[in-house]
Amino acid sequence: MKRTDEPKLELPWVEKYRPRRLDDVVGNEETIERLKLIAKDGNMPHMIISGLPGIGKTTSIHCLAYELLGDDYYQQATLELNASDDRGIDVVRNRIKQFAQTKIKLPPGRHKIIILDEADSMTPGAQQALRRTMEIYSNTTRFAFACNQSSKIIEPLQSRCAILRYNKLADDQVLTRLLEVSAAENVKFNSEGLQALIFTAEGDMRQAINNLQSTVAGFGFVNDINVFKIVDQPHPLVIQRILIHCTKDRDIDRALALLDDLWAKGYSAIDIVTSTFKVSKTLPGIGEQKRLELIKEVGFVHMRVLEGVSSYLQLCGLYAKICDL
Amino acid sequence: MTAEQVLSTIPDADLPEDVEDKKFNFFAKKAADASTGTGESVQIPEAQPNCLSGLTIVFTGVLPRLDRDTSENLAKRYGAKVTKSISGKTSLVVIGDEAGPSKIKKIKSLHIKAINEDGFIQLLQSMPMEGGDGAAAQKAKLKREEEERKIVEEAEEEERRAQEEEARQKRLLEARKAASIEKASHSQSSHREPAEVPRIIPDSEKLWTVKYAPSRIDQLCGNKGQVQKLQNWLSNWFDNAKKDFKVPGRDGSGIYRACLISGPPGIGKTSAAHLVAKSLGFDILEKNASDVRSKSLLNSNLKSVLTNTSVVGFFKHRDENIQHTQNDRRFCLIMDEVDGMSSGDHGGAGALSAFCKITHMPMILICNDKSLPKMRTFDRVTLDLPFRRPSEAEMKSRLMSIALREKIKLDPTVIGQLVQATGNDIRQIINLLSTVSKTQSSIGGEQAKDAANSWKKQTVLKPFDITARLLNAQIYSPNAKHSLNDKIDLYFNDIDFAPLMIQENYLSTRPSDARTPQDHLRRVANAADDISESDRINSLIRSSEQQWSLLPFHGVMSSVKPSSQVAGQISQRINFAGWLGQNSKAMKYQRMLQDLQYHTRLRTSTDKKELRLDYLPTLRQRLTEPLLQGEEQGIQPVIDIMDYYYLTKEDWDNIVDLGVGRYKGELVLKGISTKTKSAFTRSYNSTTHPIAIYKTGNSVGAMVSSKKNVDYEDVIEDDTNTPDKDDEEVDPDKIDSKKDKLIKEVKPKKTARKAKAAPKGRKK
Repeated sequence: MKRTDEPKLELPWVEKYRPRRLDDVVGNEETIERLKLIAKDGNMPHMIISGLPGIGKTTSIHCLAYELLGDDYYQQATLELNASDDRGIDVVRNRIKQFAQTKIKLPPGRHKIIILDEADSMTPGAQQALRRTMEIYSNTTRFAFACNQSSKIIEPLQSRCAILRYNKLADDQVLTRLLEVSAAENVKFNSEGLQALIFTAEGDMRQAINNLQSTVAGFGFVNDINVFKIVDQPHPLVIQRILIHCTKDRDIDRALALLDDLWAKGYSAIDIVTSTFKVSKTLPGIGEQKRLELIKEVGFVHMRVLEGVSSYLQLCGLYAKICDL
Repeated sequence: MTAEQVLSTIPDADLPEDVEDKKFNFFAKKAADASTGTGESVQIPEAQPNCLSGLTIVFTGVLPRLDRDTSENLAKRYGAKVTKSISGKTSLVVIGDEAGPSKIKKIKSLHIKAINEDGFIQLLQSMPMEGGDGAAAQKAKLKREEEERKIVEEAEEEERRAQEEEARQKRLLEARKAASIEKASHSQSSHREPAEVPRIIPDSEKLWTVKYAPSRIDQLCGNKGQVQKLQNWLSNWFDNAKKDFKVPGRDGSGIYRACLISGPPGIGKTSAAHLVAKSLGFDILEKNASDVRSKSLLNSNLKSVLTNTSVVGFFKHRDENIQHTQNDRRFCLIMDEVDGMSSGDHGGAGALSAFCKITHMPMILICNDKSLPKMRTFDRVTLDLPFRRPSEAEMKSRLMSIALREKIKLDPTVIGQLVQATGNDIRQIINLLSTVSKTQSSIGGEQAKDAANSWKKQTVLKPFDITARLLNAQIYSPNAKHSLNDKIDLYFNDIDFAPLMIQENYLSTRPSDARTPQDHLRRVANAADDISESDRINSLIRSSEQQWSLLPFHGVMSSVKPSSQVAGQISQRINFAGWLGQNSKAMKYQRMLQDLQYHTRLRTSTDKKELRLDYLPTLRQRLTEPLLQGEEQGIQPVIDIMDYYYLTKEDWDNIVDLGVGRYKGELVLKGISTKTKSAFTRSYNSTTHPIAIYKTGNSVGAMVSSKKNVDYEDVIEDDTNTPDKDDEEVDPDKIDSKKDKLIKEVKPKKTARKAKAAPKGRKK
């Protein structure tokens, strides 16, 4: 709204505020600390960075490479391939191997860096082909992998690498960054809005910032209602409250009142059921056996809804049954 | 204070009195046990360092509050030796619930001190540092000190050698530099700068795994025997070649031209192969997964190399003073990552195994998993050298000396944890040390645990491991750290096999908190219910609807929930899912039935279900009883019935096969004497039989005998391909004669003999 008078193309904020140096990377302090030392001392080991999306894996590898090689060599001495590039076995055998063989004069303690982003989508064959390449050229070339699931990387590669696991970002870490971005962009917000952003992002910084930008672009003001409108999913807290009403208080009326709210907002049965499934997996305060029974009921309603019976009655039935457990 | 004194203050655990009786009142005992407090977590006391030193401890049974891993790690951390079985050397046993009867007997017979969990914690609290001053503790201390001294010596020795090596390299470099400058100044005409002297990369810039790569054979950790074998084989290779690989030799390796090293990653297979070859003076030619290794490329590139000799020996620098040995002219081909041949390397494995039979130079193949089907082609042609994971003891001194050289304080007890976390992968441990050392200069118990956890290699679990974990009661206990998501993740390790494996094994557990047999039954029933419900979900997922979003739910219903019901001690070996075999058997029977219905339908007019239920029992009786009763007299009536129903001999076998219970196929067949059986086959084959309906195309059967009833005069010649009149063939020219067993290609050579046989067969 405030930007209507100056229609200029804007970078996505995730790109605009992507950290350039390791110091700016938020979260996983211990690991980042280690990376900083590597950046200082050189001699970077092969490494695998694994973790959920949006917690700074790719960013920190890039920062590391940049700090290691500096402006002069960064372009020349890094090769980055991600899932959008062809990374079949032929590319590994030709392009990567050739790059590993190329001679580039680098200061001591620095090596060429091959960054393989989203390495878990590489075929096992291509990964096999990397094995000896990583060893034979290790004196001049080091590899950095980023992936979501390290189990998708074949064991021999894991054995050659330092494995760094990134944890989910804590809420206050996301909050700090959101506040920084908001300040830089002059965003108007209230605290509930930020809370909602953090809640929906579930430790995913990228999603938090994207949602922030969308909310600002759409409504101009960040409060919880706007955020959940943007995110378009039933508020998990509401679902959790419904389930607690059902399991703890056995109070179907209050549960249904909350459900009515959701239904009136236009959420579809499938949204509500999937959200219920997700919430019940981690619902606090119930025993394992009961949780499994609960999930069984939710699952069967999920099935029925998928089969086409996506009616309000199904949801009522579900919550009534849960009360009965 | 000695360990004995401390131990004597700790009360003995009650050993179950009547051991034989144990199984009998199992459930009653369980009920009693269940009432004792489980659930609350235990406060592990901070004990004196190495306080359990010199003790050999056995843990048995389920401790009420500590799980097995924690307690064993605890004991190891404080310097105790933890073993699995009780022997005379065992100094004490920590006994929990459900200890095995044989162990209890042994404890009694050997008079070993047995304490319970509380006793163990008391022991930890009261033992003095370094295990007191008892004789055993002193001895252990001495031994440890001796070990440490040796490691320090070794490390110093290595350090010295590394420095020497570096100095030598430097000297060499200087000399070369001088030479090249001299040369450049001589050849003024060239505009080039003096040739750039390759920079020797200092050790500090190398990866630790490179820096500390073993440089001598005795530095390899573990697998000494196999390395020795490899060395023998390689050194004798050319002698064996002279004997044309006919003489097996002392260890039987003389008949192989190639050898296959197999084993998990990071245990030094490639290092061993390179070192051995180098030490024997071979020049190494290495191919690995980063090279294309398809059949055609192998044929064009490698085949020509197989007979080559190396000329590297001729180019050796004179100043290096290396003697020319015979092997200097010899190559050794190392083919790394053989199992890494992927779809791009079409036919590579086959071609390689063919090379193994003809090669004129030694070939060393390396792979991770020899049991893969694609590796089977190497079974006979290569000397098999399986490498095992080196044990903790074998790696310890190497790791300690690395730590010493890098000036990290590494607690020897920590090594055990690292070894466990990485699955005995020494390369990974070195990598881990190198990363951790960036920020920490000492690695103690607690940090190592964290590091080890985050470094645990995450690989996809095998179905057997998934089953074992899911059926383990511990992950369902309320204070377990396993969330539901973790359990669902177990299912996601192998979404196809996990449900099948649970279904196969859910009956073979003893549920941990089932108090009565009835309770057990009820739990089994619940589990069975859930499994059958999960099949409904599965059909939604895999059917045309493809509702993959139900996958987590399917995981819960097919794997997690049933296991949560029956989880407990697994009382027998985990079986592989029998469903696959049963399913393919069922499919086979369906196919057989289909064929039968097809053949008999001129006489039966029914579908295959009805045929199975109504016709086949009677048919089976009519087809087998005469043979059982009347022996050879029964043959003709049986053949008559078969002809009436247009059944072939194959159908007869199938009908017998379809029998159940008392009339199970093999039982019936056993009843018929061999003589009758062969007479039956003979007389069936010697006559022709009417065939009413015959499916074309898919009928290449294993039945050779039924082919005999072909009229050879009517057979279509393959080369002419002219259609011939045949009352049984509908459209012969469209049939590929190779695929149809009613048509036999007549090999020209044999026609004369067969033509003679045919008229004989046509006599009815």
